[in-house]
Amino acid sequence: MTSSPARPNYTLTLIATAFVLFWMVVAGFPFLWTTWGSFKVEADFFSRADWSNALSGVNTIRQTGDAFTMDGYKGAWILNDFWRAGLNTMLVTVVVTVLSLVLGTLGGYALARSGYRYAFWILILALVFRAMPHITLVSGYLVPFFQLNIWGTLPTAIIVLVAINQPFTLWMLHSFFLSIPKDLDESAMVDGCTRFQAFREVIVPVMWPGIITTGLFSFLLAYNDFAVTAMLLRQENQTMIPKIASFLGSIESEGNVMFAVSSVVSATVPLFILVMFFQRQIVGGLTAGAVKG
Amino acid sequence: MADIKLKGITRRWNDFIGVDNLNLDIADREFLVLLGPSGCGKSTTMRMIAGLEEVSSGEIWLGERMVNNLEPKDRDISMVFQSYGLYPTMSVYENIRFPLRIRKVPASEHKERVLRAAEMVELTQFLDRRPAALSGGQRQRVALARAIVRAPNAFLMDEPLSNLDAKLRVSTRAQIANLHHELKTTTVYVTHDQVEAMTLADRVVVMKNGIAQQIAPPMDIYNKPANTFVASFIGAPAMNLIEGHLEAGTFTSPVLTVSGLPHRHSGPVTLGFRAEDVAVVSEGGNLAAPVYSVERLGDSTMFAIRAKDDLISLKADKAASLAIGDVVRAAVTAKVSHIFDGTTGQRIEPLLIPA
Amino acid sequence: MPHKAFAWFILPSALAMILFIALPLVSIVVQSLYIEHPQVLTQVESCSPFGGCTMETRVDAAATAALRDAQPLGRFNGLGTYFNRSHLATREIATILKDTDGIADSLRRIYQLPFYRALLFTLCYTAVVTPLGMLAGFWIALAVNRIPAVLKGPVIFVSLLPMIITPLIGSLVIYWMVNSRGILGNLLQWVTQDPTLSIAASGPLTWLTLFLYGIWIAAPFSFVVFYAGLQTVPQDTLESAMIDGANRWERVRFVIIPHLVPLATFVALVQLMDNFRVLEPIIGFNAQASATSLSFSIYNDLQAENGQLFASAAATSLLTIALLIVLLFPVLIRTWRDFSRKSAH
Repeated sequence: MTSSPARPNYTLTLIATAFVLFWMVVAGFPFLWTTWGSFKVEADFFSRADWSNALSGVNTIRQTGDAFTMDGYKGAWILNDFWRAGLNTMLVTVVVTVLSLVLGTLGGYALARSGYRYAFWILILALVFRAMPHITLVSGYLVPFFQLNIWGTLPTAIIVLVAINQPFTLWMLHSFFLSIPKDLDESAMVDGCTRFQAFREVIVPVMWPGIITTGLFSFLLAYNDFAVTAMLLRQENQTMIPKIASFLGSIESEGNVMFAVSSVVSATVPLFILVMFFQRQIVGGLTAGAVKG
Repeated sequence: MADIKLKGITRRWNDFIGVDNLNLDIADREFLVLLGPSGCGKSTTMRMIAGLEEVSSGEIWLGERMVNNLEPKDRDISMVFQSYGLYPTMSVYENIRFPLRIRKVPASEHKERVLRAAEMVELTQFLDRRPAALSGGQRQRVALARAIVRAPNAFLMDEPLSNLDAKLRVSTRAQIANLHHELKTTTVYVTHDQVEAMTLADRVVVMKNGIAQQIAPPMDIYNKPANTFVASFIGAPAMNLIEGHLEAGTFTSPVLTVSGLPHRHSGPVTLGFRAEDVAVVSEGGNLAAPVYSVERLGDSTMFAIRAKDDLISLKADKAASLAIGDVVRAAVTAKVSHIFDGTTGQRIEPLLIPA
Repeated sequence: MPHKAFAWFILPSALAMILFIALPLVSIVVQSLYIEHPQVLTQVESCSPFGGCTMETRVDAAATAALRDAQPLGRFNGLGTYFNRSHLATREIATILKDTDGIADSLRRIYQLPFYRALLFTLCYTAVVTPLGMLAGFWIALAVNRIPAVLKGPVIFVSLLPMIITPLIGSLVIYWMVNSRGILGNLLQWVTQDPTLSIAASGPLTWLTLFLYGIWIAAPFSFVVFYAGLQTVPQDTLESAMIDGANRWERVRFVIIPHLVPLATFVALVQLMDNFRVLEPIIGFNAQASATSLSFSIYNDLQAENGQLFASAAATSLLTIALLIVLLFPVLIRTWRDFSRKSAH
């Protein structure tokens, strides 16, 4: 006799809870540890002698007089101009998100409402585009961009990111639009709207939750991008992620790994906040994509 | 206000034909019902009139204008959708006002017109609510109010009652009939429910597989169905249809023989008669078979008898004592019989009206 | 929607994709057929006061620059780049197969060729991480479904972190921990009692670390999707299975798993695409000595110190895309069948 939902099996619940706790440590501990370590000096966080130095901060106290130090952050943000990269990232992600959504809602709406075969083929093509590693496209950008003399600037990177994100944005918004009944656009059109008025006055107000969710993912794609921003931006225009990558070569050899650690932690903070406030939308977005397939 | 003319309209998707060469003149102020099972092309026809569906060939005229290439907004019609198509982000008031706002009707008129429309469908106390806070019947009335808030060329209604429960359906049906009487606007109404068609329509178009089977006033359709499909679709219960052979005015089949038919036709035919036209008799009669099922409706008793492979519906009065298995006799007369061609299913008219 | 309205709505999006996805593909094809100009060499007679005059070969920088400006694509090379040593290496493989000491030896020697090295790692990474990530996510989802409701919110919050984290940042965070001076590296040395043990120095350990990292970032996505799927398991079916006498495992086997299969296909597709493009972990883990991927090869060509190798990068890109289409083919076929069936009425 197996237990029914009314009579829970406590052993199983216990095992499940233990497993989940283990997973939480695996998933969360690295971030906790790195954040903690970013306030130490290198000799503590990367300790040759004893790993517990990172907890007690022996060398941090010896070098700075306190168990916690902001030296890493100072070095990265002020000495190495990480603030500029932060501003660039903000600019790039905000503009990319807005443009992606504008283009994506228009296109996704058309794809969801057209019953013709070519709409299907556009979606399939978008799927193939979505599958292509971004770096393969980047190798196609460089030569033409050098020739047109548009390499290295923020607008170029923004437009490229918008285009590269379009396949994903189209798919996601297309499936959100499919969940809005066609009757709504049709009654708007019978009531006197043009197609575009129906879209703007009636459909978009209903779509806001879907647009916000898709916007979150567009934001993540732009924020997390490495291939495009690393290859298409010149040094002074770099965003945070390529900046961190360039730290790896230069700063580590100078013994300032802690600059890289602190900038990594800094770049995690916005993502952390994002998950905190938009957990529901992110989960909903992942699920919506899956359900519509 | 306008009349609507459909001249040979056809809707094709690749090799599938949704509506096939439909010709129809809808008079000004007429209440026309498109009736048929799902997939018969009735909704497609209405959507072509609205401009929501492209016309593959043929012409649609609204009044003096050929509207094939006009956008829905330029056709000046209003429409009630099956799932109502209310704007969930707007209040009831805003929903009803929407057509006025979008069509640039002077803002000073809005309030008065919205209130008048709301009053006609008894919505005045719900104007501040969102559609999500309304019951199904109230939502349906918002859709109606939105349609009548301006004076369009025509009303189109796409199965407006199908999402309501049975009781509400009856009262809303009466409301629609009353609105049409009051506003006198040309109305095209799509339904698969023959009771709605019979009760509301000035004329009914019965459709099947994209082809109009019969276009006539409800009682004509009931009394003289054009073919076996219409005969079985109109009336509750459906007309009994028995296949057999007609020769010199006498219909013969393994279960039933009817003589004295005023038809000069010989060959395979289908004989049809309605349950309510046939009397149950204690002696004689030309139909005898055991009872298969009994349904007591209160005012009368419907029952079915099983004769060979056919289930035949019959009607008895409410006091009839019937039990499953009893043998029942009935008299099917020539007068109540309809004759249809055995192969084409088309009605064969009698040569002279039987006395 | 009529064709004209459709065209206007899709135009901006389509234009962006044509300009920045389709045209670059053309550009890649063209680039892959050309090869960088060699440096222009000149013979210079250099005379020293005592040694007399000798002829020297020097790089003519000005002439090289002029040539590169005049023909930025380089000179036409046909399909040469595709078959050279850095790519398909047909000649090298022919040689290897000719004088081989058995299959193991030829495989080992083929693995020395850069393209095949990258290919092998990419395929292994995709083949290992995709199913294991999904499996991990499935178990986490089953477990989370059973724990008390108060815990579920925080668990989902923490679980999302590895997924939404920037891949480069995630790999750095882990790399710093497994580094021989990091906490996990220390732990490993203590467990094995080998103070010289370093993951970076060992090829197999690097691969293993990269795989584990891949599962770490892949599991949350599967978890969230499967967890959402578990909430929609039809209760009626579950209850009738109970009444029919199915035990716990049989209910998972016959009700829950079939319900999740469509979701699993979707997850597999997305994960396949994401894992196939693996790039950042190799940079973050500084692992190119023992593991390179196709994406990394392209990145490396474009980062090359003395002049970017556009032709080489373009050829690798096209080979990558070709492979990807082969991998996606079953999906495309299936989608096409679904669509045909739906539109057939």
